[in-house]
Amino acid sequence: MEEANGEWLMSARVAIVAGKGGVGSSTVAAAYALAAAREGADVLFVAVDGRPGMGPLLGGRELNHNDQILRRIKGAGRVRGQTIPADKAFSDYLEIKGVGGLLRRAASAASLPMIAAATPGLEHLLVLATVKEFDKDRAADLIIVDAPPAGHAVPFLRSASGLSDVVQSGPVREQSVEVDEMLRDGERCRAMIVTLPEETPVTEAIELGNELTGVIGLALLPTVVNGCWPDRPGLEKTPAMAARSHKIKLSDGAKSALASSAAFGRARLERQREQIERLGREIDSPLLLVPRIATPRLTPHHLGELADALTQEASA
Amino acid sequence: MSGKKTRSNVSDSLGETVRTAELLVTCGPGGVGKTTTSAALGVAAALAGRRVVVVTVDPARRLADALGLEEGAAADEPHRVDDIPGLGNGPEDGELWALMLDAASTFDRLVHEQTTSTKQAEAILDNPVYQAISRSLSGAQEYMAIERLHQLYTSGDWDLVIVDTPPSRHAIDLLEAPDRLVGFLSHPVYRALTMGQRAFAKVTNAAATMFLWAVRRLAGPQIVEDTVEFFRSLANIEPGLRHRAEEVSVLLRADVASFVVVSSPRAEAIGESEHLVGALRDGKFPFGGVVVNLIHPMPERLKPKDRAVLEDLGDGPLADHVAWHDELSELATAEREELAALADLAEDVPVVELPLLAVDVHDVEGLVDLADLLVGRD
Repeated sequence: MEEANGEWLMSARVAIVAGKGGVGSSTVAAAYALAAAREGADVLFVAVDGRPGMGPLLGGRELNHNDQILRRIKGAGRVRGQTIPADKAFSDYLEIKGVGGLLRRAASAASLPMIAAATPGLEHLLVLATVKEFDKDRAADLIIVDAPPAGHAVPFLRSASGLSDVVQSGPVREQSVEVDEMLRDGERCRAMIVTLPEETPVTEAIELGNELTGVIGLALLPTVVNGCWPDRPGLEKTPAMAARSHKIKLSDGAKSALASSAAFGRARLERQREQIERLGREIDSPLLLVPRIATPRLTPHHLGELADALTQEASA
Repeated sequence: MSGKKTRSNVSDSLGETVRTAELLVTCGPGGVGKTTTSAALGVAAALAGRRVVVVTVDPARRLADALGLEEGAAADEPHRVDDIPGLGNGPEDGELWALMLDAASTFDRLVHEQTTSTKQAEAILDNPVYQAISRSLSGAQEYMAIERLHQLYTSGDWDLVIVDTPPSRHAIDLLEAPDRLVGFLSHPVYRALTMGQRAFAKVTNAAATMFLWAVRRLAGPQIVEDTVEFFRSLANIEPGLRHRAEEVSVLLRADVASFVVVSSPRAEAIGESEHLVGALRDGKFPFGGVVVNLIHPMPERLKPKDRAVLEDLGDGPLADHVAWHDELSELATAEREELAALADLAEDVPVVELPLLAVDVHDVEGLVDLADLLVGRD
């Protein structure tokens, strides 16, 4: 398996972080932002379909559509954050094109969804076009895009090429061509796939990798395997045998309690090894193994641990 | 089930639902085993002697293989699942069928049904705007899942139709899809566009004119013509669409329907599920149960005197055991707290808690085992 270290952090100016639902891709995107800021970068974290809590997790206030500073790292960089709600991207775009105020007054905001419905993918395209403009203006050293979850990441990224089939001329056409160029330029833009060390998520990550590189033409950053249990080789021994190496004698109760967790742990770790191996064989990018954090609710402290894990060399 | 609604006398089985419901909708966040749970509920109903069809969206490949689903032309039609252990082939025995949702072809079928001539249908089907909308309009897949459910239900071929909804952070989209379509058809801009029968120069409604102007500015003149043409052709089928949306809306709230929320004990999934339970109640949808998958096992507790022996071990195999035991206990405890909050919210509705299994379910035998857990061995 190829291994990765922190050098990849700044390998593109726009990083799109994607994964199926439930794999923690937003959290990994936030940890990536923190890791890059620690290396001195001015990072802009962009949430497309942002779930609440990402701003506080990064150490600031809740994200909104204004660019705000979430965290400064002493002697290094900082993390800024904002959302790009699709409808906001749309009205911003109208504003740029000089039709915003007039259109809003005359047609009212109520017909914006109609326009979006008539030109499907337009909202997604405009979000990506906004990111592209940020990059053109060098609004940050690194822009991290927390892509929509679940099955929506590919349609989101495909909106550029999809729209150019329907729209033959006009500014939307220009935007879709320019966004498509950005997505295909590995110096400017790369994608990070996030998955879990389990069978179904690994299969989906491999498929997502094929779609992103094959269909959309994106280059990949290292693939993050989130939620890895730390390796515990001692579990291979029975609690009684393990205790002997420490010259300790365990009560029957202690043996039984430890055995009750060990069987599950061995099975779990075995399965995790198999899946990481399979992913390493089938996806064309280095792997980063990130330990699972034993809490259902993450804090900024946990995010720091995840950022550490992203910049350490892969241990597998 | 009457009397006080305390959790202690609430069923922890979906047996009743599986035996009596005629429509079953599973919904919940992504990554919690929703498709597998839907398939297992189908197996349970078939084993109870019913003729069942499970409509799935985007199943993991191995589960799709187990259900005999394939992509391509055959995907949108029901396909019988053979060789289910414990299920006979007699006339009294149940049957399990599965189909993979293809939103675009469901949309096409709807257009064919609602038009009076092939020419009328083709005018819509060939329109580039229609093609783009039916394949990528956000919410189209959710609406089509519901539309397919209606088609299958009204065909009279099935005792039970199970629909596995697309995973969605906003799972509510699904429930609102029919109402949203009606809202779209009632929109003043839409009405203005479809009212004038000739050239769009005739469109006098100011909002509609602005709308077309904006589309033209943004995307060029061709798409304006396509859009107007699409809305015009849609006008022919509008009464049908509107009627259908209303029917579906009623059907989803009927006694024969049942919604099952599938979740995992992770805080994020629980939060979404709580939101969904609230939306089901607010929308007066029949709420039939909660399934929580992927629960970590709770290890036996270490007694304080044993704990004292295990302090300050230094590195070594026993330290691995203790660290692992603590980690798993902490996680299992936190998960049970999350679960308790969801169970409280579920009130008198069954909650089935399922352990994290050592392997993914990817064959029919695995589905039968899961079915037993869902309905209890009764």
